[in-house]
Amino acid sequence: MKITARTRETSSEQARVLLERRAERLREKPRDGADEEAVLWAAEFPVGEDSYALPLDALRAAVPLRMVTSVPLSPPHVIGILRFQGQILTAMSLSSLLGGRGWREDPAVLLVVDPGLGGRLVALDCERIPKPVSIPLALVEQARSRSSEAVIEVTLPGLKQLNLIDLKRLLDRRVQETRG
Amino acid sequence: MTDDFLAQLLPGFVDESAEIVERLTQHLIELEKAHDKTRFDDLARGLHTLKGSSATLGLEELSDLAHKMEDVVLPLRGRDIALPGAVADAVLATLDVWLANLRATNNKTELPALAPSVQLLESLRALVGAPPPKKNGSHMGAAQTPAQAAPAPAPAPAAHPVAKEAPPPPVAATPAAPAPEAEEAEPAQAEEAGSWRVRTRDVVALLHEVERLREVRLRVDERRRELDRTLAALTRLGMLAQTAEVRGQLAGVQRALASDGEEAADIVASMEEGLKAITTLPMRTILEPLRRTVRDVCKTTGKLARLSVVGGEVSLDRRILESLRGPLVHLVRNAVDHGIESPEVREGRGKHREGALVIRVEQQGNMLFIEVSDDGGGLDNARIKQVAIERNIVPTAEAEAMLPAQLHQLIFRNGFSTRGTVTEVSGRGVGMDVVRNEVQALQGHVEVQSTPGQGSRFLLSLPADLGSSPVLVVRCGEHQLGLPMSAIETSLLARFDEVKTSRERIQLVHREELLPLADLGALVGLRQAEQPQEGQPLLVLQSQGKRVALAVDEVIGDLELAIRPLPPEVRELPAYQGAATLARGELLLIVRPDWIAGLERKASAIASSRRALVVDDSLTARALHRTALEAGGYVVHTASNGRQALEQLRHASYDVLVVDIGMEEMDGFELTRAIRKKPEIAQVPVVLVSAHDSAADRQRGSEAGADAFLSKKECVSGRLVAEVSAVVARKQGAA
Repeated sequence: MKITARTRETSSEQARVLLERRAERLREKPRDGADEEAVLWAAEFPVGEDSYALPLDALRAAVPLRMVTSVPLSPPHVIGILRFQGQILTAMSLSSLLGGRGWREDPAVLLVVDPGLGGRLVALDCERIPKPVSIPLALVEQARSRSSEAVIEVTLPGLKQLNLIDLKRLLDRRVQETRG
Repeated sequence: MTDDFLAQLLPGFVDESAEIVERLTQHLIELEKAHDKTRFDDLARGLHTLKGSSATLGLEELSDLAHKMEDVVLPLRGRDIALPGAVADAVLATLDVWLANLRATNNKTELPALAPSVQLLESLRALVGAPPPKKNGSHMGAAQTPAQAAPAPAPAPAAHPVAKEAPPPPVAATPAAPAPEAEEAEPAQAEEAGSWRVRTRDVVALLHEVERLREVRLRVDERRRELDRTLAALTRLGMLAQTAEVRGQLAGVQRALASDGEEAADIVASMEEGLKAITTLPMRTILEPLRRTVRDVCKTTGKLARLSVVGGEVSLDRRILESLRGPLVHLVRNAVDHGIESPEVREGRGKHREGALVIRVEQQGNMLFIEVSDDGGGLDNARIKQVAIERNIVPTAEAEAMLPAQLHQLIFRNGFSTRGTVTEVSGRGVGMDVVRNEVQALQGHVEVQSTPGQGSRFLLSLPADLGSSPVLVVRCGEHQLGLPMSAIETSLLARFDEVKTSRERIQLVHREELLPLADLGALVGLRQAEQPQEGQPLLVLQSQGKRVALAVDEVIGDLELAIRPLPPEVRELPAYQGAATLARGELLLIVRPDWIAGLERKASAIASSRRALVVDDSLTARALHRTALEAGGYVVHTASNGRQALEQLRHASYDVLVVDIGMEEMDGFELTRAIRKKPEIAQVPVVLVSAHDSAADRQRGSEAGADAFLSKKECVSGRLVAEVSAVVARKQGAA
């Protein structure tokens, strides 16, 4: 049996303040209501020079990009495999899935996402930890009416362009390309 | 003993007894062939344990029956002869009844009669030279009825009831050894007292929790590394005096984290080991009892057959094992009854009198393959067709048009049997139906192949999520890969005089045989194929009847690992069986031996393509460059640092290198300069890429000898390939 060194546990004032701030933010989050604008909560992150987003409810975790085992002979968009909560997941290059975008910095984060494939998770690389954004649902619907692609371009107030990713469609497309 | 108390103890006693009966069965089968003192002694001990344990639980009738088995076995102790067939038959049959009675007692169902077994054993007493049975009431009489065989509600017996009994009577001519002491039964009982019954789903849930704990352990490690970096940063700041106290505290936390991490790793390893022991059992636990099945069917049918088992050490989820027990019994009984010919017929056909029955088990990733083959007469296609028509299973015209493979599928139909009459062994037409249904219930399938006069082969394929198998871990470049130990014949070190190289292939002279020799790293696309170096580790693999030599960079060692299926995005890659988790949490890919064995024809298919080496310490950057370059028609190999790139350049030639500037170990400038200094590779074009586009970097790249410079944001689709192709063309033009 090992003897474990004990250290005095100190309460972190910084952590307490941070948690209070988070709670405050949550309290301020607009509640659902008929009179309020319906929005889609999304996770926004950069891919090269562009901004992309995934529906927030698909995001399960953001983990450091390490302990990924590369899989020789795999399709090029596959970075490798990793363990996450007892499952073996495939880590994929989002930039590659999107058709070979350039990137500003080497991704250091993996987003564990549920693409709607029966509960099966996949991991996507990401240059930075995403930030939550709300997109007016009306704008999303408008963009969807214009395109049925896996990535639709949503123009936000202030003319900012955001590429909203339909993960299931994106992965299905990749599967079809691989088989084709 | 109260009924409640008995009900608590019985389930464990049933399990323990089943194990003992299984062991005794093996002993009886072997002792019937030849005397073996060790086996005989264990047989005697086992019978004694059954007797003592059942008596302890108040199951007097079962204790008496075990005693009667001892009566016909123990007089033979010390005689250097095989166990008489009649004795083996009687004890085997009695053990079956004994166990069935115990199970029925536990399940509170109708008890099988013990009286016929008693009569059978009594009839053998004269044969083995045992004295007549005692007439007191402690032993059950032959005329006992099933009702009388119910567990006696007697008070709990003394602690060692059997110790009071007289030792078995001496055998004529040879003195009998004393009966094993009652104490010998105690270890088994003690073990039993410590066993629990747990629900499978609880164990599976626990497995997942252990996986989570392993990840927590990894996070603890990561925290420690973060602390390392913080301490290093504080030291770099130079305010050593001002930060001394804080650094001291952090160093204490760091040591504590390191210790916690190690302890957590030990706990995880220990829990995984324990869970593996709980959830899995080796296949041999269900395969060994089949020897008894083969023996019994042979006795009934007058045939001779020997069962060989290969792969019995493969461990599997207990639930799968339990489900496979029935189908395997059916397959084995069918093989002997329908497949193996009588000794006379076999002799007439030039075969050995004794038929060969082989069960081969192999786990490939999450798939389990069980092959049951015999060297008998094979399936009788004409008879199958005739029965199918006679019983209106298929219309005549359809039956006539059926190919052999289609006819073979008919044997899995419910009620199909080619036996004209129902015998003790077969003829009911339910056996193969059961096999198919059970295997399908496990999400598997059954295939059958048969050659007239040569035998049949049934292949059961089914998924096996849990379980472990021995894996050899090897290294190729920076990659670790696993190979199933079952496929490894031997390992050796390469010697130049044993490696034969021609323009087409490399071969290894091994035990006076020429084997194809391949480089594992090249096979999985990590590098170009090359001739092994003197002293390089080689493995000889066998799979699907082929033997192949495989060069690796290092043999790391063998581990018992649970192989899990790969996720769907990479599951269809034919190279891999699955992945296993190593101690630190990283995944190890397990390569399929049959894929390697079948690779001879696939080699060098891409020899004429242009080759690019991507050197980048970012996994994701390597993936992106690969995406672009492969789309542009390049064969891409990768290296994660400059040192590895130089190593690859030493053995292979590339048309272009795509090199990241910002690598930790040897940056892109340094690598470029190193390349330019080596005359043999100095001409290879180098394209530098950088996350940061600066004039200074471009200038440094140019000075180092790079041919082009791209920022990573410029590596958009098409741009990288265009730049790389332009550089290659310029170099070739200049040459």
